[in-house]
Amino acid sequence: MYAYRLMLFLVFIGYLLSPLMMNGWASPDVAWYRPFVIWGVLIALTLWLEQKRKLDER
Amino acid sequence: MNASLVGMLGAGAGFLLLLWLCAQAVERGWIPTRITRHPLIYALALGVYASAWAIHGSLELAATSGYGYLTYYLGMAGAFLLAPVLLVPIQRMVRTHQLASLADLFAFRYRSRWVGTLITLVSLLAVLPLLALQVQTMGNAIYLMTGVASPATLALFFCVLLALFDMSFVGRRRIDGQHDSLLAVMALSSLIKLLAMLGLGAFALFAVFEGPADVQAWLEGPGQAFQDSVTQTDPAHWRSLLLLFFAGLLMPHIFHLVFTETRSRHTLLQASWALPLFLLLMALPVPLILWAGQRLGISASLETAYLAFGLSDSIALQALAFLAGLAATSATTLLIALALSGMLVNHIFLVAHPPEAHHDLYRWLRWLRRGLVAAVVLGGWLFYRLIGVHHDLTSLGLAAFVGMAQCLPGLLALLYWPGANRRGMVSGLVVGLLVWLAGLWVPLLSDLPALIVIPPGLEMLNGEPAWYAVTLVSLASNALVLIVVSLATPTSDGERAAAEACSVDAVIRPKRLPLEVASGEEFKSPLARALGESVATREVDRALEDLGLSPQDGRPYALRRLRDRLQANLSGLMGPSVAQDIVDRYLPYRQDGPGATEDIHFVESRLEAYRSRLTGLARELDGLRRYHRRTLTRLPVGLCAFGEDGELLMWNDALARLSGIDGGGVVGARRESLPAPWDALLGHIIAEPGSQLYKQPVTLGDATHYLSLHKAALEGSDSEPGGMVILVEDHSEMKWLEDELVHAARLASIGQLAAGVAHEIGNPITGISSLAQNLRYEASDPEVLETTEQIQQLTDRVSRIVSSLVGFAHGGRHLAGRELAPVAIAEVVDEAIHLIHLARSGDDVHFDNRCPATAYVEGDGQRLLQVMVNLLGNARDASGPGDRVIIEATPEASGLRISVTDEGAGIDTSVRDHLFEPFTTTKPPGEGTGLGLPLVYSIVAEHHGSLDVDSPPPGAERGTRIGLWLPHHQKEGETPR
Repeated sequence: MYAYRLMLFLVFIGYLLSPLMMNGWASPDVAWYRPFVIWGVLIALTLWLEQKRKLDER
Repeated sequence: MNASLVGMLGAGAGFLLLLWLCAQAVERGWIPTRITRHPLIYALALGVYASAWAIHGSLELAATSGYGYLTYYLGMAGAFLLAPVLLVPIQRMVRTHQLASLADLFAFRYRSRWVGTLITLVSLLAVLPLLALQVQTMGNAIYLMTGVASPATLALFFCVLLALFDMSFVGRRRIDGQHDSLLAVMALSSLIKLLAMLGLGAFALFAVFEGPADVQAWLEGPGQAFQDSVTQTDPAHWRSLLLLFFAGLLMPHIFHLVFTETRSRHTLLQASWALPLFLLLMALPVPLILWAGQRLGISASLETAYLAFGLSDSIALQALAFLAGLAATSATTLLIALALSGMLVNHIFLVAHPPEAHHDLYRWLRWLRRGLVAAVVLGGWLFYRLIGVHHDLTSLGLAAFVGMAQCLPGLLALLYWPGANRRGMVSGLVVGLLVWLAGLWVPLLSDLPALIVIPPGLEMLNGEPAWYAVTLVSLASNALVLIVVSLATPTSDGERAAAEACSVDAVIRPKRLPLEVASGEEFKSPLARALGESVATREVDRALEDLGLSPQDGRPYALRRLRDRLQANLSGLMGPSVAQDIVDRYLPYRQDGPGATEDIHFVESRLEAYRSRLTGLARELDGLRRYHRRTLTRLPVGLCAFGEDGELLMWNDALARLSGIDGGGVVGARRESLPAPWDALLGHIIAEPGSQLYKQPVTLGDATHYLSLHKAALEGSDSEPGGMVILVEDHSEMKWLEDELVHAARLASIGQLAAGVAHEIGNPITGISSLAQNLRYEASDPEVLETTEQIQQLTDRVSRIVSSLVGFAHGGRHLAGRELAPVAIAEVVDEAIHLIHLARSGDDVHFDNRCPATAYVEGDGQRLLQVMVNLLGNARDASGPGDRVIIEATPEASGLRISVTDEGAGIDTSVRDHLFEPFTTTKPPGEGTGLGLPLVYSIVAEHHGSLDVDSPPPGAERGTRIGLWLPHHQKEGETPR
């Protein structure tokens, strides 16, 4: 549950700061696939949390 | 474009046929359930969110707003990242109360059928632009491929085809349950559109470009001009878009799939990473297709939304683009039609015309829904025609999402603010709705400019895009009015209770009220008046089966659970408002009963179920509760507790063992309905003015127990329930020990009496014996001689009996110093049988002496005769006419085993343990002294023998076998066995 609260906090921070990231993505110096890589990392983090939850509840 | 119209319609029909076959395969079990019910299938089905917007609208948005198109995917992915704190609580509520839609949830929480109706209308108005978007893209796509007729006509063909398919789908689904086939169809559609999009993306990346590096080079080179024309999304717009697409969760079809069709919390949590991954893969090809189109220079001749069709002249690639759109459109339309038709039935049709015992309610509902499904699909086409085709996809999509987002403040209040009430929610929603209708929805239908009322203080919104201004103003005013009105107006009790049930930190305190019906079976008759006999019977049977209850179960607790279950099941069938009306009207609580008290047992069972979800202090308190509960349950003394209304709330393990009644079967029952003798016994202690009852004789099984009961009142207060706790102690053993003491005292008295009697009788008997001897010497008449001999024999016997009494009283001291002689056991048995027959009783019992003549023991023949007389007398008394008593003797190494076996009634187990103790008898009062077997035991013990009892004997069904073991003569210094 504490991990979920952390997730809630991170998602909220991400919501507030996401426009800043978007401005970075639009820069021509940045690889076009970078947003998708960041998104993929976030999914991996969620998957890790989910596995941890399953272990906790076992 | 060179595809034929017939070919395109054939492809569309073929695709729908594939979906139909998929549904068929799942329903007929051709696909194993471990596949159809896999969490990944559910996650794929959730991909229905990626509608035609994801295929065509995203291209349009990416061309104008760059990475701003990602908000469509990230908004929903964010909602699923928050699954444990946002989606799981809603799922729990929806499952607990069998709510099938957002309207059901709002109607349940805000306790009004009209709230459900309002939410249904909002949903209908909001999804119409989304449906129009689906219809418009399909019409345009077919027109692009074929170039014949007009997009509107083609879209109509498509809608008719889709409506027929959707109607047939309704007919094949269960109307009130979860549907594997629906999930499978959605998952298949999602898989097809994902593969098609990935295929288009791969073509763009490797056929138009030469890999990722080439894309980067193009973007930094020739593509820079296109990038410069993109208006980067303003941060505030970005956040608003994220919020709007987050609220896409409330769309009827998404809500239905996420909460109603989900199988478990685990499935939903699995989707928290699987759906974002799906959306990532769907989003990835979008910029590639756009850039490929720009590089090929087709963006000038083709609408941006349909660039994928121009990437190549290959019919295969165009078919891939068509397939992606077709899969997205048909799945979205199907699910919207199904979800919305359910809401319309429950919150408009059934509210306007409550079901009054239809002949076949299920059939009526099914046809009603079929009609509504077709109406929704064709309504989408009609709306598309009404708005014309001049709106871009972004305007249509945003109008739908802003409309649906008006339910967001109400939903958040539902979850996190129990203080919100119906008036506040409805006022806020109406205000937000009006702002949205005037600013975005009505302008879709006409060329009138958007009417956006900018309140004072928000002047900075002037000049902003209409969707942004409307979103901000509508949501802000909606939330503000909700808060202000909720704080300013009172909240009803029912609403407060529902608010607590819906709150994330729910403290559910269900009440205990008696029902008018007395058993599960009796539910059917009143319900039949509302639902018809067959539906009522089926629903009651189904609820009984769900709860694992018997139709005859009359426990008030079970009846309340059955009522709740029926309401939940009916809610799934016809919505919570109608279900509650039916249950309240036809299954009312008794008005003459005691006041409502808390249902402690139910609260406890729910706490047990939710235990894994408790954290922090709540978990520690629950641990304490469980400890105290365990202490009471495992208490080695019987304990039961009653509520103020006489309902049994606790029945611990010790009481279950003592009574032989399982707690699970009686908890929740009234005291009067407990099995005998507990109803009367517990009623006695409750009615008793004192707090204790000592040693009450109670027959449990075949034995009499002596129970002591103690009671204490549980003083109730405003917040704590009252009632009574009763302790039940089994004092049978103590009672027996007390009786033993009394018996021992009696025994001692008898011993003293016997000694006195022996002394007093001994002298006259000696005199009689002497006189008889004298008479014998003096007489010569043979008859007199025989008489005197008999007198002497009888006086000898009386002397021996008196001596035995003294011996019994003095614990066998009479054998001390006497020489034991060999005794032929067969002769002893014969003499005993003779004596038994002399008593002129037992003539109808056959004694069978099977002792060998050579079987000898060392002992006192007279004493052993007493033993045999007693044993055979008991066997005779226990036997019926014609029964046999068999006496056998078997020589063993160190002694002789003698057995007396009868075919009588046997000895009760409770008596057997005390058989050789004085005054224990199975005979009727006055017929047995209870001294016979103790005397036998005493004599056998004097001979260093042993006794054992088998009742019934091994291999027999009745009767008793007394086993007697007597040793050979023991010489001095030898250890007796």
